[in-house]
Amino acid sequence: MRNRATTTLKYPKIRQSWSKWNLYNLQRLRERAVKRQTFFQQKWSAKSLTRAYHGEQVRESQWERMFNRRVRSVIPMNPRRMAADDGSATAAGRGAGLDATEGERNIVQETPYTSMTYAPLERRLDVAIFRALFASSTRQARQFVVHGAVTVNGKKMRFPGYLLNPGDMFQVDPERVMFATGAPKNKYDRREARLEKKLAAKAEAEAAEKAGEEAAEEAKENEATPESETKESEPLDTRKTLQQMIAQAKNIMADNKTVMAGKRKQELRGFQKAVRRVMSRSSITDTQAGNLEAQFSEILTLLNAKQASRREAQNKKSESETTEGPEATETKATEAEATKDAEAPESAEASKPAEPAEGAAAAANEDKPTDALTEAFRQATLNPEKEVDVSELSWTEIDVLKRALVQLRDNPVDTSKPYATPWRPRDYMNAFAFIPRYLEVNQNICAAVYVRHPVARPGFSEVPTPYGEETSTGAYHWYLRRR
Amino acid sequence: MPPRIHSQIIPNSLLSCRSSASQTSTHSSLPSPSCAPLSKLSCSRHSTPSAPHLPQQSSRSFSSTPTTQTRLRETMFQWLTTEGSELKSHIPGTTNYITDGRNRKKFGPEGLPGDSKPFPLNPHFKSERILSEELRNDIYQRVVVKKQSVRAVSTDTGVDMRRVAAVCRLVELENQWREQGKPLALPYARAVHEMVPTTKLQRDARLQRERPHEQINDLPAHRLTDAQIFYPVSESRQFTRVDAGRVFSAAPARLRGDDQGDQPWEVVRDLNLGERRIEAVGKGDGEQRVLQPADVRIPHPHLITLESERAANPDSLRDVWRAHEKRLKEGNEAEEKRKQRKQEARDRQVFRIQPKSSRFEFRIKDVVVSKETTGTDGRNAKAPGRRYGVPRSDRKKGQVKIPTHVLV
Repeated sequence: MRNRATTTLKYPKIRQSWSKWNLYNLQRLRERAVKRQTFFQQKWSAKSLTRAYHGEQVRESQWERMFNRRVRSVIPMNPRRMAADDGSATAAGRGAGLDATEGERNIVQETPYTSMTYAPLERRLDVAIFRALFASSTRQARQFVVHGAVTVNGKKMRFPGYLLNPGDMFQVDPERVMFATGAPKNKYDRREARLEKKLAAKAEAEAAEKAGEEAAEEAKENEATPESETKESEPLDTRKTLQQMIAQAKNIMADNKTVMAGKRKQELRGFQKAVRRVMSRSSITDTQAGNLEAQFSEILTLLNAKQASRREAQNKKSESETTEGPEATETKATEAEATKDAEAPESAEASKPAEPAEGAAAAANEDKPTDALTEAFRQATLNPEKEVDVSELSWTEIDVLKRALVQLRDNPVDTSKPYATPWRPRDYMNAFAFIPRYLEVNQNICAAVYVRHPVARPGFSEVPTPYGEETSTGAYHWYLRRR
Repeated sequence: MPPRIHSQIIPNSLLSCRSSASQTSTHSSLPSPSCAPLSKLSCSRHSTPSAPHLPQQSSRSFSSTPTTQTRLRETMFQWLTTEGSELKSHIPGTTNYITDGRNRKKFGPEGLPGDSKPFPLNPHFKSERILSEELRNDIYQRVVVKKQSVRAVSTDTGVDMRRVAAVCRLVELENQWREQGKPLALPYARAVHEMVPTTKLQRDARLQRERPHEQINDLPAHRLTDAQIFYPVSESRQFTRVDAGRVFSAAPARLRGDDQGDQPWEVVRDLNLGERRIEAVGKGDGEQRVLQPADVRIPHPHLITLESERAANPDSLRDVWRAHEKRLKEGNEAEEKRKQRKQEARDRQVFRIQPKSSRFEFRIKDVVVSKETTGTDGRNAKAPGRRYGVPRSDRKKGQVKIPTHVLV
C-alpha cells in the first residue's frame, strides 16, 4: 500500500504519528474560520481534516460501511443519589424536578456525541496497537501486523483490519515495540555495531579457513589412490562440512569470549550512564519497587558469575597495553579511568560521543554523589565477588545504588539491537503518550486487552481526536449522507 | 505570450522553469535567444507564488543553487529548537503535552496540575490515569491468590470489573514470561509509567475506595431511551425510574403494589437464579423485554442498598458492612449458578464424540429447521450444508475474509 500520509507544512494535516513534523503541525493548529463557508464546504473541510487523522489507511468506501450514526455513551450513576431518590423527585413538579436553588442544582455537562464519529475505527487492530503506545504511528502498527509480529488471543493475526472484540488480548513482539518507541541509533552507535559485526565475521572466516586446511591435510593423508578420490568425492564433502561445522561451533565459543570482553566494557560504560541518569532524576516511579530486593541479590550473584570472564578481559587489556605504543596506552588509560570513576561524566562522554545533549543535561542537574556511594558503585561493578560494603552509605544512597544496579541489568548496552542502547524513549514521544481507557495495557510484556468499546460520557469522549466538537460535528453530518 | 507556456518544462535547456530569479550568474554566460525571454517569463510567473517560501536572507549570498529550506521549514526548526525543545524528553511523574507547555508559560513552572489534555483544540479528550504496577499486582493478588470476588475487588479498588479481569489475565501472562525467562520490555514500561498519569496503590483501604481509578457504576445508554417522550402524569403520582422504563418500552403502566419494596440487588439475584423473568411486551418479531430501571442495569446494584442502609443506620456501620458482605456473597453465588446453567444448556445442544484413535473431537449440533434459520425453501443463507443454486459464501461478492473473532 502506497503511503499517501505525508506530513506537509504547507497544507498541514494531523496524522496518527509521533513525528516532530506532526507535533509542529499539531501545535500550530487553529480553529477553522468557517464563517464564510457554505454548509457543504464546512462539512467537506471538516471531513477531510478528520479523515486525514482517523483511518487514512482505510478506503473511504470501507469506512462509510463502518460508520454508524448511533454513538455509544454511558451515564455515570451515583449510588448515594440513587438510594436517596427513586426517580420521583426528578419527575416532580412539571416533570423536571422541583425548582432547586443554585447550589443544589446538579450541573450536567453535555456529552460530546459527535466526537465519537470515528469510534468504529478504534476497533481496528492497527489503530489499537498505536493507541496502546506499541508503535510510533498507525502505519508502523500496520506493518507490524502484516509482518507477523502481532498475535490476537495467542494466535498470529495478519490482518490490520481485524476488528477487536471486547476481551480480545493482543500482543506485539517486545523487540519491535522497543524499536518503534526507542530512540534511533546515531552514527557512532551504528559504526560500533558494524565494527563488532565485522570482527565476528573475520574471526569466523579465519576459523573456517583453518578448519578447511586441516580437512585438506587429513584428506591427503587418508586417501592413497586417485580413483578413490574421485569415487569418494561425495562422502568427502560431507566429512568436510561436518568438520567445518565443528570448527564453527568452536569458533563461536571462542568468539563469545571476545564478545564478552567487549560487552563487559560497554556494560560498564552503560552502567555509568545509568547511574548518572538515576542521580539526575529527583524521583523515579515505583515501577519495580516491589521486587527490588530480590533483583538486587540476583544481580549481585550475576555479577559474581560473570567475574571470571571479565578477569580475562582485563588481562587481555593489560597485554595490549604493553604491546601497543605510548599513545595507545595513554588513551587506554584514560578510558580505564573513565570506566573506573563513576563521577567523571565529561571524560566518559569524551570517550563515547553518543547522546551528547542528554549527557550534558544529565551532568548539568546532577547532584554530586558522595565518595562513599561512588566507592560502593566501584565495588559493585569492579569487584562484585566481595560483599558490597554498605556500612558507610545512608539509606537513600543504598536505594540509589540498588536502582542503578537494577537499571543496569534491565537496560544493558547491546550494539546488536536496532535501537540506541541503553534504551530511552524516542524524542517527542511524551507529547503523544496517553492510553485511552478502553484498553488495558501491560507494558512489560507488550500486551493489551481491548476491554470494551470506546464510549462518550458527559463532558468527555474516549476517542482521541485532535479536533474540537465543531469540526467533529461537521464530519458526523457529512457521513449522515444528507448533504 | 500564451498563458500555458509557463507550465512547460523545457527539455535540453539549462533554464528550467523551476529556477529561481536569482539564478543568473551561471546562465548569463550561455545566452540562447530562444530561451532567454521564455525563461524570464516562466521565472517571473513561478517566483511570485513561491516567493514567501524562499528564505529571505540566504547564508550563502553568492551561491546560485536554490536552497531547499523553505521558510516553513525554517520556522518549524526554529520552533523545535526553542519552544518545542521542552517537549523533546519527558519529565518523570508529570505529563508533558503541548497544552502543558502552554500552561507552564501562562501559570508558571508548575503549570495546571490535573489538566492533561494532549490535543490543544479538543477540550473533550483528557489523558486518563492508568493503573500503576503496584495496584495491578495488588488486584492480581486479591483475585487470584486470595480468591476474592471480582465484584468486591472492583468496588474496593475503584476499577471496572472488566478491567479487573483483563489485569488478571495480563499479570498471569507476565508471570509466565518471567518464569520462562523471556525478555521483557522493562525500560519501556518504566518510561511509559513516567510519562502517563497513574493511579497509585493506597495503603489505606478507605482512601483507595474514596479515590477510585474510574467510574465503576456506568449506565450504558439504552437505545430505547433515545426517543424523547411526552408522557403526562398527574402531579400526585409517584413516578419512579421503574415507570420511566415502562414508558420507554411502551409497556402498560404498572398496577399499584407491583414489585414494590424489592431492592435492586434482589432483583438481579432472582434474575440470575432464574426465579424471576423480565416481562416482555409486543408480539412476534416486535417482542421486546421491558426496559429495567437504572438501579438494576448498573454494574453494582448492591451499592444502592449499602448507601441507603448507611444513611439509615449511621451508628452501626459495622453491621451494615457485614450485611453488605453477606449480600455480595449471595449475589456471587447466584451469578455462578447462572453461568453454570448457561454452560449446561450449551453442552446439551452439542453432541461430542472423541474416537480413541483420533486426536480430534467431533462436535455435532442439531439443525433447527425453521423460517428464521433455513427459510421456507431451505436455502437460506444460514441453512447448513451445500444447497443447490446457492454459491459458497467465500465465492460471493463482497465477502470479507478477515476473521471476525479469535477464540481464546
